[in-house]
Amino acid sequence: MKDKSKLIGFTCAYTPLALIDAAGFAPYRILPMGDSPDQAGHILHENLCPHVKRVLDRGMQDDIPELSGIVFMNSCDTMRRLNDAWQKVRPNDNTLLVDLPVSNDPGSVSFFAEELALLTDTLSQWSGNNITPERIENSIGRYNELAMHLNELKKRVDNGTLKDGSLRLQTIYNKAATEPIKDVMEMIKQMIDETNELSDGGLPVYLFGNVLPDPEAFVLFESCGARIVSEDLCTGSRMTHSIETDKSSDVFKRLANGLLSRTACARTVDPINPGKMALDVVERANACNARGVIGHTVKFCDPYLARMPSVRDALKKEGISFLLLEGDCTMRSIGQHKTRIEAFIEMLR
Amino acid sequence: MILQHFEDQESGIMNAIKKNPESASPRKKLALETARLGKRLYSNADDLVWAGPLVPFDLLNAMEVTPCFAEFIASILVSTDAGPLFFENAEQAGYASDTCGYHRMLMGSALKGMIPTPKLLISAMSPCTGGLAAMENLARVFKKDLFILHIPQKESDHGVRILANHIRNMAESVSSHTGKVLDKDRLRKAMENTNKTRDILSNIYKLAQQVPSPVNGRDLSNFGIVLPLFFGTEVGIEIAQSFYDELKSRIKANRSGVPGERIRLMWLQNRIQFKNNLVKMLEKEFNASIVIDELNVITWDPIDPEDPYIGLARRSISSPLNGTVERRVKQIVKLAEAYKIDGAINPCHWGCRQGTGARGLIDSSMKEIGVPVLNLEVDCVDPRNFAEGQLITRIEAFMEMIESRPSPW
Amino acid sequence: MIVAGVDIGSLSGETVILSDDKILSYSIVRTGADSALTAKKATDEALKNADISFEDIDYTIATGYGRVIVPFANENITEISCHAKGANYLFPTVRTILDMGGQDCKAIRCNEKGKVTNFAMNDKCAAGTGRFCEVMADVLGIALEDIGKTSLEAKKDAMISSACAVFAKSEAVSLLRSGVPKSEILSGVHEAIASRVFALLQRVGIEGDFVISGGIAKNIGVIKKVAEKVGLKPLISEEPQIVGALGAALFAKERYKKG
Ligand code: SF4
Ligand code: SF4
Repeated sequence: MKDKSKLIGFTCAYTPLALIDAAGFAPYRILPMGDSPDQAGHILHENLCPHVKRVLDRGMQDDIPELSGIVFMNSCDTMRRLNDAWQKVRPNDNTLLVDLPVSNDPGSVSFFAEELALLTDTLSQWSGNNITPERIENSIGRYNELAMHLNELKKRVDNGTLKDGSLRLQTIYNKAATEPIKDVMEMIKQMIDETNELSDGGLPVYLFGNVLPDPEAFVLFESCGARIVSEDLCTGSRMTHSIETDKSSDVFKRLANGLLSRTACARTVDPINPGKMALDVVERANACNARGVIGHTVKFCDPYLARMPSVRDALKKEGISFLLLEGDCTMRSIGQHKTRIEAFIEMLR
Repeated sequence: MILQHFEDQESGIMNAIKKNPESASPRKKLALETARLGKRLYSNADDLVWAGPLVPFDLLNAMEVTPCFAEFIASILVSTDAGPLFFENAEQAGYASDTCGYHRMLMGSALKGMIPTPKLLISAMSPCTGGLAAMENLARVFKKDLFILHIPQKESDHGVRILANHIRNMAESVSSHTGKVLDKDRLRKAMENTNKTRDILSNIYKLAQQVPSPVNGRDLSNFGIVLPLFFGTEVGIEIAQSFYDELKSRIKANRSGVPGERIRLMWLQNRIQFKNNLVKMLEKEFNASIVIDELNVITWDPIDPEDPYIGLARRSISSPLNGTVERRVKQIVKLAEAYKIDGAINPCHWGCRQGTGARGLIDSSMKEIGVPVLNLEVDCVDPRNFAEGQLITRIEAFMEMIESRPSPW
Repeated sequence: MIVAGVDIGSLSGETVILSDDKILSYSIVRTGADSALTAKKATDEALKNADISFEDIDYTIATGYGRVIVPFANENITEISCHAKGANYLFPTVRTILDMGGQDCKAIRCNEKGKVTNFAMNDKCAAGTGRFCEVMADVLGIALEDIGKTSLEAKKDAMISSACAVFAKSEAVSLLRSGVPKSEILSGVHEAIASRVFALLQRVGIEGDFVISGGIAKNIGVIKKVAEKVGLKPLISEEPQIVGALGAALFAKERYKKG
């Protein structure tokens, strides 16, 4: 019998990677890339976000490494349907759907903490390892360190002092999502040692949205005259955040709170402050002195579709120009927007 | 304007019944009570709470707070003259036409001031992400508070316990926003009413299963999704009872819902909410009857009036609108067998990720039990692109196919 | 100083040659499979019309979706900026531009200097584009240039519910079969186009004066319907198809001056 793989698949930036690490596994994000033929629409429905459809296509085509299991998060309707479809097309895979509340109120945090405890039990079954609290604390430490380093790199990219910054940062994000953490740390350390090199020109733009993993996309933005001075994407900076390390409170609660309180994506709601996402976009765009804001989302993504009108309004009120692009995770679809992006930059110059 | 619509509807139905008592029917009774509910919603006399469809309405009714959910009001607004206009409003404001029509309708009409302002909004992640977002948007537009009810996906004891607690918190929040208290006796009474309604409903569904079925394709449309608005009230019991009596009397008189019933169908998801001829066409041309709608089902046990929260929590979690497709499909297959259907129609409501997103998975499970499924492409709420001719052609072809094969039962 | 603007669209290519501020000549050619060749053909023709040679041109700017493949251009600028620039030259009071090109459709807002302040583009759906009109003309067997005129003969609009080219085509076919006059079908088609482009215009906000450019500006049936919806009489230049190339030429002049 073959050795069990050391990888656990995941598909959403809300996945608690430290727990997977603590189980002795390496997390592997099934990114919506590659060119598996379109079949997912047939299994589910065409009008679902291309992020999920491509992930399913990869699964159906066996275009993924051998995995010991897959952890799905209940982040939206479509993710839920992905979990359903996966069991149909790959009935022999270990899978788990972890429920994910939409807000970070105390009740939701405790519920999520219980879900994470269940996840830990499951991971420990899959691995045969006993996941002790120390192991979890160690993994949290490792992921906090990764988050810190990535954050530093991001700052340099935002300031424009790293050569080919956004392209390379995205490459690192993709590695961080798919490769063992220690290899990624090596790479980051090398980059941190590089000397500053001021990147040339480009109009400062704030980019937000959901799934945009292809590093080439960032090359395209730059070739159109934009310089991304801050980014907020679920395949980018939203993947990392740090977790409280004060051991006096329950570790699952800390993990739960860390995930639910990190920079929110559109699927997460602040009930105290409905429509907060729009204000966040304005605030971040102002903070990085962006001249304009570009939103990039995949089609049929309900969480983002529903919030776009309020984002548009809020930016308009502030007098910040906004360009919304819809894509399907392929470079082809992003390339189609070249004229829009160029015209947007020409307009702001 | 909308208030007027409900008033006209109420007086219209009452006059018709007065003139000709023979014309009274359970469907009219339901329409009448719906109009009255609408009147209450729009007259601002009541404490109004907007809530998602899986929120326990009986609890709100027990507090004398008027509950209403988005799908319901959207389905009413779409039948008014201003319907198409509201969609245009929504799209102009940036609400993409790729999203569910229920929510577009809701936002479009809210922006035009056609949705009454609630005291509080309650939303949940089930049934759908879009619904939660619509509630958040409404809360922003109305500048009102939002309460989020987290309904767990899995039917586990720990999930039920947590939700039960959360429902308790919800009641407190409703209290503090409306000033209405949850009286213990009224709550008990409401739960008893809910249980009575539940019993009658389950009897209705048993009658509907008979071959031939006493229901025609229209009797129970939208029933399972609208009736919960009246849970916990006497009116809810009355409505249910009138349907039961009607079906019973048809059976006694040996009258089937569709004369000469030949084909029995299941309708998946919600019905098409605007006027159309599809159901009549099925009856007239093919003696086909929609004997069961997917949502006309009881998935929960009676609720303990002394300690209702656990039961209420279980009910919400067990809804076919919550949880995995595996559970939904099991339920559909069970219904298919119980009602001995010859085929199912899935409208594949445009923009519904949670429901329509499962199209392929439902297909393959139905194939396993030998029941054919017709998948349409309809926006069940937005009539602007409704191509009835094309749909009729496809339905006809499906019916011919069903007629030419042996029944699966 | 002599400069050129070259606009390579999906259906046609145009070149405008400017001498200082004056239009020396222009050309319109049909786009072939090879964009570079189209650009050359259009420019050669314009040069011939102006009776000058290629060497006389000091600076060239390319625009349109084929702008990056024009080998002899010094620079390229998007058609959005160019349409605003060109429209501003022709009508200095313009604030809103609707450009209905061969393959896409744009609503552009600009200031008094012809600088873009907002825009919206529709390239996912064919409504409001030359391609859509071609398809309809083809279905009905009427020459493309005649569909505008023909539609005006209609006493009422046939109901075309969808502005999606695929659906509208099949709707038109079935209307034709059931004996609805061609003029009414066309009028219905134009109504569908007008609602689509009106929605696009609303996204940027409409302010007068209002200019329509692009090939469809020659279709008086569409223009009439759009005007009704917008409530403003659109300004249309004599040759609405060259507005983009003209804008490019104007940019060429500015850039050349700057060195
Ligand atoms: S892209 Fe949007 S719809 Fe798709 S999985 Fe992510 S949140 Fe859900
Ligand atoms: S139809 Fe689907 S998306 Fe629309 S409200 Fe219902 S569950 Fe939500």
